[in-house]
Amino acid sequence: MKKSRSVGASSPLNGIGRQDGDSRRKRKVAEISQALNVTPVDVAVLRRMAISEGGLLTDEIRCKVWPWLLNVPTDTLPEEPEAVERENNKDYNQVLLDVQRSLRRFPPGMPDEQREGLQEELIDIILRVLGRNTQLHYYQGYHDIVVTFLLVLGERLATALVEKLSTHHLRDFMDPTMDNTKHILNYLMPIIERVNPEVHDFMQQAEVGTIFALSWLITWFGHVLSDFRHVVRLYDFFLACHPLMPIYFAAVIVLYREDEVLDCECDMASVHHLLSQIPQDLPYETLISRAGDLFVQFPPSELAREAAQQYSQHSSSLTLINCHPSLRTAASTFKDFDLASEQQRPDSVLRRRRREKQALDGASAGAVVATAQPTAARRLVRLAVMGLTVALGAAALTLVNTALEWAPKLDLQLFP
Amino acid sequence: MASVESSTEFTSSLTVSSNLPPPRTRIFKIIVIGDSGVGKTCLTYRFCAGKFPEKTEATIGVDFREKLIDIDGETIKVQLWDTAGQERFRKSMVQHYYRNVHAVVFVYDVTSAASFRSLPAWIEECKQHALGQEVPRILVGNKCDLLNSVQVGTDLAQQFADAHSMPLFETSAKNPGSGDGGSRGSSDHVEAIFMTVAHKLKSQKPLILSQPPGGVLAGDTVTLRRGRNDSEEKESWACSC
Repeated sequence: MKKSRSVGASSPLNGIGRQDGDSRRKRKVAEISQALNVTPVDVAVLRRMAISEGGLLTDEIRCKVWPWLLNVPTDTLPEEPEAVERENNKDYNQVLLDVQRSLRRFPPGMPDEQREGLQEELIDIILRVLGRNTQLHYYQGYHDIVVTFLLVLGERLATALVEKLSTHHLRDFMDPTMDNTKHILNYLMPIIERVNPEVHDFMQQAEVGTIFALSWLITWFGHVLSDFRHVVRLYDFFLACHPLMPIYFAAVIVLYREDEVLDCECDMASVHHLLSQIPQDLPYETLISRAGDLFVQFPPSELAREAAQQYSQHSSSLTLINCHPSLRTAASTFKDFDLASEQQRPDSVLRRRRREKQALDGASAGAVVATAQPTAARRLVRLAVMGLTVALGAAALTLVNTALEWAPKLDLQLFP
Repeated sequence: MASVESSTEFTSSLTVSSNLPPPRTRIFKIIVIGDSGVGKTCLTYRFCAGKFPEKTEATIGVDFREKLIDIDGETIKVQLWDTAGQERFRKSMVQHYYRNVHAVVFVYDVTSAASFRSLPAWIEECKQHALGQEVPRILVGNKCDLLNSVQVGTDLAQQFADAHSMPLFETSAKNPGSGDGGSRGSSDHVEAIFMTVAHKLKSQKPLILSQPPGGVLAGDTVTLRRGRNDSEEKESWACSC
């Protein structure tokens, strides 16, 4: 997948065809501005712009477009956000602790005084939204999302958009428990299995779980990406799409690193460590387009069924353990000690299979990775066809339609 | 004696593979738990990377660090699982990482009475994951360099540790060697603390191999029960680091 589909990954920012990039960029700015100026505002076009290459380009444009993507009217916002009561606030200590430690989220070189002012605003926004929506519960990582909105939009707009986001896209993460968050993470492995069963099997064998992707999901990657431009580019994409899109993007990152994963020791620690250290030089535009493709091919409705089936079939699978904690605690710690020692050895079977597969693949270099399993090969061929024939534009249209279909039901939780 | 062979606080996957020990290297898996902000990330980073991290952020879910150590000529990989402190994570998210754990490090902040008061809940949490007294457990009071802000006295902490059959260590991930550490003169070094745990694990391994779990439980806690007062064992480690 990685090798075969890097075509078309060139971004204007990469310096490839700079002039062409500049003119495309100008055209995009014009299109966005036109969509904003018609009555009614053409939100479908704005969504497509947010998804397609380069996203919304500048923070200035984001200030105008993000409210439309979240359907937040900006002309009726109060001039001054309401005051926040910090004393006796049940969330204040935790929020303060997390915000104080979030130094890396602010642009390097920002004067301390300015950063400290923004941190105060950040605390206020969070407490304000939580105070107005008592059904929402703060989670560590929420502050990583809010700081992105604050830095792009300023306190007033950020408050309104974060509130909408919290009652919709982030709603499941803000339950009293994280059970629904876990449920969403359970989509990750079925997506990976559809595209690359070998990677899926390897990860299951390693029992790596899905917690490596937890911070990706609940912060929309804000916690793990150090370059703010990448974060806002992803936010353009996620704001324009179905709320489950971040989990597709997580799957795409794992799949992009398939070679590294398969080269890893097949144990929980090694795979968890590898995957949780996210590369900072990811080809974001390519990955966004792939995530869009995957969403179109394997929509959540289809995966939900698949996931349920899969969990009932794999008796030893991690997901089953997650579903039934009692199974896990039944094991003796001391037996596990020795078991763990055995598991340290690289899984020779998986490795042999991989070598055999590589030998087979030698002949068809450049083609989509094939495996010995006939069903797997069929799936991958399907993806290859999609990858070659579906231009991002077409995929984006489908995504927009999905987002629009989903929009009227905004108030529903994904997993009530 | 307990020299450090290499630190694998690695930054990229390339170093992962090059630093990997031979497949038979034994692994000691240690989980580090305690309230948000007590310094779990700083302690584990200090041990694995040998320095205090400049900027740490809230841990979301579970982070993982490891380090190769040498004990009596055997190379052992110490894996530290650094967990999120916020309660909502521990309930449903972190549980997977309690599996196959060989030792538990409970951390509180000596400048936060609240973090000390949470310890019973953390101990209970461990019990629910089948990690009771049969698993080596230690109690670490962090931030003892902040002399003027101490809210949890050594005596109180020692009583608690004794009551739960755990050795107590007081330290500062930021500035080990500072703090008066009560009557003992100086605080414990982070290095020495984790090495003590590693030695404990290594010493019980033959037992594990030759006896059923039930047989180990009884004898296991004895040697570390009075760990804090057992200055001989601890000092031997403090010296070697």
